[in-house]
Amino acid sequence: MATTENERRATSIERRRLPSMPAFVADYLGMALALAVLLVIFGLAAGNFFTLTNFRTIANQVSDTTIVAVGMTFVLIIAGIDLSVGSVMALAGAVLGTCMVRFGLPLPIAIAACLAAGIVCGLANGLVVTRWRLPPFIVTLGMLEIARGAAHLVTDSQTKYIGSAVGVIAGRGLLIPFIVAVIIVILGQLVLSRTVFGRYIVAVGTNEEAVRLSGIDPRPIKLGVFVLCGFLTAIAAVISTARMEAADPNAGAGLELRAIAAVVIGGTSLMGGRGSVVSSFFGVLIIAVLEAGLSQMGVGEPTKRVITGCVIIAAVILDQYRHRIRKTPKP
Amino acid sequence: MRKHNGIAISVFIFCAATLLVLPTGCKKRQSARPRIALVMKSLANEFFKTMEDGARAHHKQHAGQYDLIAVGIKDELDVAQQIKLVEQMVAQGAGAIVIAPADSKALVPACKRAMDAGVVVINIDNKFDEAVLADKQVSIPFVGPDNRKGARLAGEHLAGKLKAGDEVAIIEGAPNTFNGIQRKLGFEDAMKAAGANIVSSQSGYWEMARANQVVSAILTEHLNLKALLCANDSMALGAVAATKAAGKSDAILIVGFDNISAVQELLKEGGILCTVDQHADKLAVYGIEYALEMLAKEGAPADKETPVDLITAETL
Repeated sequence: MATTENERRATSIERRRLPSMPAFVADYLGMALALAVLLVIFGLAAGNFFTLTNFRTIANQVSDTTIVAVGMTFVLIIAGIDLSVGSVMALAGAVLGTCMVRFGLPLPIAIAACLAAGIVCGLANGLVVTRWRLPPFIVTLGMLEIARGAAHLVTDSQTKYIGSAVGVIAGRGLLIPFIVAVIIVILGQLVLSRTVFGRYIVAVGTNEEAVRLSGIDPRPIKLGVFVLCGFLTAIAAVISTARMEAADPNAGAGLELRAIAAVVIGGTSLMGGRGSVVSSFFGVLIIAVLEAGLSQMGVGEPTKRVITGCVIIAAVILDQYRHRIRKTPKP
Repeated sequence: MRKHNGIAISVFIFCAATLLVLPTGCKKRQSARPRIALVMKSLANEFFKTMEDGARAHHKQHAGQYDLIAVGIKDELDVAQQIKLVEQMVAQGAGAIVIAPADSKALVPACKRAMDAGVVVINIDNKFDEAVLADKQVSIPFVGPDNRKGARLAGEHLAGKLKAGDEVAIIEGAPNTFNGIQRKLGFEDAMKAAGANIVSSQSGYWEMARANQVVSAILTEHLNLKALLCANDSMALGAVAATKAAGKSDAILIVGFDNISAVQELLKEGGILCTVDQHADKLAVYGIEYALEMLAKEGAPADKETPVDLITAETL
């Protein structure tokens, strides 16, 4: 009985936060519009931008970041942060590469080991955060170092070239990584907006103390979110390793910031309690299109970084502005 | 209860740290042999790992002659950390510092201070900037390969497979490194001599994923590209993946540099046309031997060139 009551309460919190239907569409419309503007700019500025190969390339490149961004969205919604995703991706990839190259294990077993590595890292993050009530920033910062070091230990600091044995996953122009990423985005959004777990996540991010006082233990929820993030990061590792056909212990450097930037562009609040997986996906696409377009125009790396930084800040300002407009008429 | 836990853990960590630090500290104090510090770039990079292994193997055989301290930085761009390392090595009383600088300019003042303190400094791998050395009025002997020559060798091998006017692109290393610039220049020398058309030259910052992204964009922009010259093998791996994804593996030739283990298979398969070996394992050894020589007779420092070799499927 008590649980259903709490569920109802959590649901009503969520319902109040859910924007009305037109605003909901407007949310995505804004992001889609921003993306369209970028596409038009690059279509005019760079040759061969509107080609099938180009979109296929971009689609394949965004898949790993997208999957990590889904996990990051969940973590940010519970007002947490996971700085370890880049290193964990390198470690999971390193495990995959070492299993196949050094021990000659078949692909399915290597993938299982890779996913297990991701889950263990997520579990460690979650357990330390919930058991000692440490800020996730500190804990995952520690994990960032641990996982990176472990990735180098596992591979002996050598890039492992695996070859087409793992490349089959990425396919040739078959877009499998992208399809996997899109499925994960859809599932992630469904979990977030249609399940009890998803509503608890939003509730924990909104007011953890209130959740606890309502008789729901927030710790398993937080633990679950960190494990999920680790698991998704490992899936991203499988995909990126398959795409490169090699496992690099230095892979994923700076991935955490790229993922956080994408999620924040998508309007997810760093303060927790608000966010959308689909919007994060748009955030990833905006950054990817920007990077690919600028590279094609031959813009130098430093300029590219300046422009990307400006776009991130502009996007968040726009998002704030949009939310303020929506809030002001009804105090 | 929770507080006790915290104290217990901090005490434990402190004890563990002390135990780890003590023995190394004691060992150093006892020896009278000259202490040679090998200061490398990122040990995360296979190249420097090989260098370190080579130095350790050499030290094992000549353990009576000198003590070795091998240190490196976390990532190649962490210049400030490397400066700190040089200062620490001087403080530890190293007789000689053999350094592969992460930045050809920024490390010069720190090395000058070390020399003023009486430490012999040998520059390996990545050469210090001439202008800065002249400005600081120091001369530091360079022991290492001619990267420009190495890149030219690889470029000339590639040129044999190209026609005049063919479109090629260069994937550069980090733009603030001397060896990155030298390799780019070497590639350019060979391509200009062959009459090839360099349509794009962008930095992949030595990284596989970064190079992959840049190469994908170049492939989209330049449909008739015939070859990619990458300033290191990690970036060549990223380029191989990008051409494969674009379905152009057969149309585009790829050149790497460094001869890391991961490219061996690709060289045999023809995925990578050629790479350059500058014998990382020997590089630090040459530097150490040179340092021992200088410590013994304090001779006038001169540069010493180490070999670079072209590696193709045939030479493997």
